[in-house]
Amino acid sequence: MTPETITIDKGYRQQFTRRVAMLCALGVAALVSFFVDMAVGPSMLRFNEVIQAVWSPDTVGLAQRVIVWEVRMPYALMALLVGACLSLAGCEMQTVMNNAMASPFTLGVSAAASFGAALAIVLGLSLPGIAGEWMVVVNAFLFAFGATLLLQLLSSMRGSGPEGLVLFGIALVFMFNAFTGIMQYVATVEALQQFVFWTLGSLSKANWDNIPLLTALFVVITPFSFASAWQLTALRLGEESARSFGVNARRLRLLSLLRISLLTAGAVAFAGIIGFIGLVGPHIAKLLIGEDHRFSLPASILSGALIMSLASILSKVVVAGAIVPVGIVTSLIGVPVFVILILRKRS
Amino acid sequence: MRTKLKISFLLLTICFATGLHAQPITVTDVVGREVTIPQPAKRVILGEGRQLITLSLLVPDPVAIVAGWTGDFAKSGGLLYEDYRKRFPALDDIPLIGTSGKETVSTEQIIALKPDLAIFGAGSHGPDAKSADVIRTLEAAGIPIVFIDFRLHPFKNTVPSMELLGKVLGREQQANEFVAFYNRRINHIRGTLAKHTDLQKPKVYMEMIRGAAPPGSPGNGNLGEFIEFAGGNNIGTILPGEVGTLNMEYVISEQPDVYITTGIAKPGEEGIVIGQQVYTYQTQESLAKHASRAVVSPLNAVKENRVYAMWHLFYDSPLNIAAVEAIAKWTHPELFGKLQPHGVLKEINERFLAVPLKGVYFAELKK
Repeated sequence: MTPETITIDKGYRQQFTRRVAMLCALGVAALVSFFVDMAVGPSMLRFNEVIQAVWSPDTVGLAQRVIVWEVRMPYALMALLVGACLSLAGCEMQTVMNNAMASPFTLGVSAAASFGAALAIVLGLSLPGIAGEWMVVVNAFLFAFGATLLLQLLSSMRGSGPEGLVLFGIALVFMFNAFTGIMQYVATVEALQQFVFWTLGSLSKANWDNIPLLTALFVVITPFSFASAWQLTALRLGEESARSFGVNARRLRLLSLLRISLLTAGAVAFAGIIGFIGLVGPHIAKLLIGEDHRFSLPASILSGALIMSLASILSKVVVAGAIVPVGIVTSLIGVPVFVILILRKRS
Repeated sequence: MRTKLKISFLLLTICFATGLHAQPITVTDVVGREVTIPQPAKRVILGEGRQLITLSLLVPDPVAIVAGWTGDFAKSGGLLYEDYRKRFPALDDIPLIGTSGKETVSTEQIIALKPDLAIFGAGSHGPDAKSADVIRTLEAAGIPIVFIDFRLHPFKNTVPSMELLGKVLGREQQANEFVAFYNRRINHIRGTLAKHTDLQKPKVYMEMIRGAAPPGSPGNGNLGEFIEFAGGNNIGTILPGEVGTLNMEYVISEQPDVYITTGIAKPGEEGIVIGQQVYTYQTQESLAKHASRAVVSPLNAVKENRVYAMWHLFYDSPLNIAAVEAIAKWTHPELFGKLQPHGVLKEINERFLAVPLKGVYFAELKK
């Protein structure tokens, strides 16, 4: 090895170690936040009581057990999951769109999910055999996914450039918003309130039916995402250079969009519209760890989970005993972190 | 001589009557605005369609005086709306000024309908006291507006609202009768409680349900005021506004003694099935299902089977007097066990309402 390559190699190792350390730090922060989320609540349970209720639920009273198992844990887990899903989706989206302002909600995916939810809440329309609250979930999912397919169809008719995708995506946003507007126009007062609450985003729908579903979705999709990490990094260097590495940009974009729509649809279906995480989670990750997707993808997952978990804590303590929809406080948590990171990067 | 007397008497009567007729009516509404209208209103706009029920306490044919309304009663009124339609087929012909939300209301449509009065709620799904642009435009067009309130602070505002409506609609006698009826029942509860100054205040958890959504609970206002009045301790008073969402953990840790839920579902819909033309078993089924959720299982109220349901629209109606009795009965059965909320509705049916309420409006969960 020449001295130059040794220096490069050493630099790379240092960078590698630093990034791994950063990932670990993010992971620990998210974990700590999860524990705090589990420990905080209006009932003043002590932390060891929470732990006792977790490890040996049969030894504690019914109230303690229900508070820990039916209220705190589902909310805390849902916060991590939703944050992870949306932030991962956002990270991929920003790369395949080659647009720092892109988020899972840019291309009409959430607008479509909203319309699906509105159909269920306002008109009670869903697939046959689906009833009750599952209608909202199934509809949000179907429409988010359908919107992605439509987007693919439209953009494949025009060529696969990101500009075309963004334009079609914006068109979809306005179209679905208009559809949703019509639903709101014909809605009953009660359905309208229910829908507004849904759009604010909330962890209060978390329960032991939907958490395993979202977990499964996340666990199945993430490996595919990680497997495309180097291709995404190559794409980040520009479409030409990606092609020179042998990356099929069009195919990469298609599969990535598929993952994005699944992750977004899953998160939106169970927690409503939480718009901010998918945009800022990936940026925080990249500011901390750089553009190498082998690191920025997991870092996005962790930073999204962390912000969402912090937001979940805040939503419980703003008004003790009351619940502020988590979608409202997400920005309150994320924006200061974001601004500080940008300023530090500048200086 | 006799004819002359007759004639002069007749003239006097006419003078008196026309004099009375031309007498402008000045009222102060619940938000403190002074409003003058030249004569009792014959064509009114309802900012919330559901206030047709309120009008039907005072006017035998309320539909005849409604010049325009929002569509919320048609959508939320359930089978009660159908009964109104049967009784007053002209209901279908009342022009809409908007659908449900206040942003759907067309000021132009209101003006075009040439009403002589607009009746809005101080806080409502339709235009309310915060709808500055609607108020400004209607006033500029010479359409007087009065604000009533059964929703933000019903305990304070129900009686003034009814007196106000009696005046502006020229139905003071009916309004006074209703107010007397209302006050008599309120005073009975107030008097009984005054005799028991050392009374324990049971904790009451109330949730207001719409479909399967996370329920809202009354805070400092709305039905929460009646809980406090009836000698209960509303655990929702920690909420910043009139209505908000409580953390279930807080509810569990408060251990409410009484659990009251409101509902508006028709048979076959999600939520608490209760209201016009609903059968007891349907309410019981939906209430039992609701009370069997894991998250409410630790509540004392559930363990001791103090779980109750009432019709949702009491939260925005002078019929709230029946709800007050129900709340009192459920909160202090030892004092008010003999009160019959359905009996109150029966008396209201017989003495006031144009379309009687028939069905289940209150329910106690059976073991």
